Amino acid sequence: MYGWTGNILRINLTDRTHKVEHFDEEFAKKWVGGRGFALKILWDELKPGIDPLGPENKLIVTVGPIAGIPAPNTGKTVVAAKSPLTGGYADGNLGTRVTEQMRKAGYDLIIIEGKSAQPVYLYIEDDKIQYLPADEIWGKGTYDTHDWLYKKYGKGAGVLSIGQGGENMNLYSMVRSLEGRAGGRPGIGAVMGSKKLKAIVIKGSKPIPVADPEGMRKLGLEDLRKVGEIDKKTGWSIQGTTGVLAWCNEVAALPVHNMRKTHHPDAWKIDGERLNNARVATYGCPNCTMRCGITILDHEGHESELDYENIGMLGSNLDIFELDQVASLNYLCDDYGLDTISAGAVLAFYADAIEQGAIKGDFKFGDAEMAKKLLGMAARREGEVGNLLADGTLRMARKIGHNSEAYAMQVKGLEISAYNCKFIPGMALAFGTSPIGAHHKESWVITFELKQTARDSYGPEKAAKVIELQRIRGGLFEFIVACRFPWIELGWELEHYVEYFNKTTGLNWTLNDFWKVADRIYALMKFFWVREFPFWDRTRDYPPMIWFDPKNADTDGPIAGKYLELDKYNQLLDYYYQQRGWDKRGIPTRKTAEALDLKKEADQVEKFTKLE
Amino acid sequence: MSGSNIKITVKLIGPFINQLGFSEKTMEFPAGATVDTVLSSLPLDPKRPKIITRNGQAVTTGEKLGDGDRLAISPLYSGG
Ligand code: SF4
Repeated sequence: MYGWTGNILRINLTDRTHKVEHFDEEFAKKWVGGRGFALKILWDELKPGIDPLGPENKLIVTVGPIAGIPAPNTGKTVVAAKSPLTGGYADGNLGTRVTEQMRKAGYDLIIIEGKSAQPVYLYIEDDKIQYLPADEIWGKGTYDTHDWLYKKYGKGAGVLSIGQGGENMNLYSMVRSLEGRAGGRPGIGAVMGSKKLKAIVIKGSKPIPVADPEGMRKLGLEDLRKVGEIDKKTGWSIQGTTGVLAWCNEVAALPVHNMRKTHHPDAWKIDGERLNNARVATYGCPNCTMRCGITILDHEGHESELDYENIGMLGSNLDIFELDQVASLNYLCDDYGLDTISAGAVLAFYADAIEQGAIKGDFKFGDAEMAKKLLGMAARREGEVGNLLADGTLRMARKIGHNSEAYAMQVKGLEISAYNCKFIPGMALAFGTSPIGAHHKESWVITFELKQTARDSYGPEKAAKVIELQRIRGGLFEFIVACRFPWIELGWELEHYVEYFNKTTGLNWTLNDFWKVADRIYALMKFFWVREFPFWDRTRDYPPMIWFDPKNADTDGPIAGKYLELDKYNQLLDYYYQQRGWDKRGIPTRKTAEALDLKKEADQVEKFTKLE
Repeated sequence: MSGSNIKITVKLIGPFINQLGFSEKTMEFPAGATVDTVLSSLPLDPKRPKIITRNGQAVTTGEKLGDGDRLAISPLYSGG
């Protein structure tokens, strides 16, 4: 078998034992890697209903067959677990040196089980596994933790760590790596913290098994150069992802004031142009020639790496239009190891609930200094307010009451990323059907919706586009494990990835083979949710009710008076389900499951709910 | 403004700002100008896919513009 090492490193933190297991080619071809591997392991090995923060949950660190080899943007690793935030399947990817080091150490998959009695970090060097005391770094932020580990193991080591957020089991804490890279939005950091695992350090020295090593090396290096050239020519990385901020403001899709507003006259103060002008450094993931990590100095003088989601959620959504203050909030989230998207949504929801009179508190939109304090309290779960804020918007709303759930901006418990879909039906569907809760990484259809269809259409073409993009973004890029940006932003064709895959594995796949794997993974992710929530119905694929409320419609600008219509959204959801072969509840039918080689899994899910 | 001219505010997005050397400016065009009139007056690569909005609504290149319109010209972002 080429492409995959076939090795699984299984570590038990309770008794500090480990073993190496193996998977065969059938498993590799069926699930490919990354999200596919993580999902299948969690499906097979987790008992439904387990406490995500208990020792029964498993933390998965995994890569794909092209991960780590020199080729465009292959520096990503997937982390996954059952989510403490949503209760469903959760994963995330992040750029890290772990990708290459893990493959060189000889593993495609690491499964971390149990729970350590004391704070610990793992040191993995090829076949050597050490469980080392983390006393000196427990309680520290991710920046100090990384520095401490780099001093010990060198800058080339692969490092994943959590900050105070993960340690205190803040439900939207993430896993951090490198300067501004983080992954695992739905609380994967909390899962790591629940196991008292502060960090993982990996070093490897073995060759990655590639079917055509010379051909792949030549092709990969040449393509890295070409991608870099396209980036220079198009100028994409001048503003990177933040270029979209000014555009969202133009078309009324910017999150402002807990997404109650869609545009703001001061948005220009925090846009990509201002960010680029303030740039002091640029960072990127390994194996990347279009580096998008634009770094500026924050209000206190720290380097802070910003992207669009950070600025949208910690800036405009909180009515904070001072870029250095947004950078401070972003720096704190990175240091505490908190998801910037959920953190921004949580603070905005808190300010909104206070404004609505649903709860008493002294936080107002626009108050950057108080927002900084609150982030620290949420990361450390300090007092009643810290604990409230640490649990995410859905739990907060259920505690606060007063119909506040309508404006808790989340789907399935995960906070919506920085695209305000007050009147963007297809993108609302993309958030609604995103398989880990509302995340933009699965499907992003806004420019398609505005350019190629009518914005107010709820037609089948929008459902089809959401599925097409889910197959590519949430499928292909999540299971071969590579950054999607060369394709989405520079037009680097998908056929290149087929070539990398075939040259690495020695197989002869086409894109259609990838789409089948993608559909299989999407179906099994849904089964995972249904197994956890057996009374599943389509309302779990709804965006927040406030988007359907005429009273919430904009009073000025391009979408004044417009709002989403629930009956039409339901129609759109029907198109989506029909095209996927799912029933009206949004569950794959038995026929669909069997066509995707999921008969055994369908039998298992039927113990919880009847399939159509 | 001369009698037969209209004023259009052109807002560039992302790398177009660096390519053209301005971010936003108000320009005069003859009455009856279309999106195409504005585009062809700017040194933008015609082959590069773009999304153009007038006052926040997507427009096609043949569409006629009115006095005071705001035209945003953006590369085709794919949303991070
Ligand atoms: S484009 Fe950005 S996110 Fe993607 S690999 Fe490069 S630096 Fe990382």
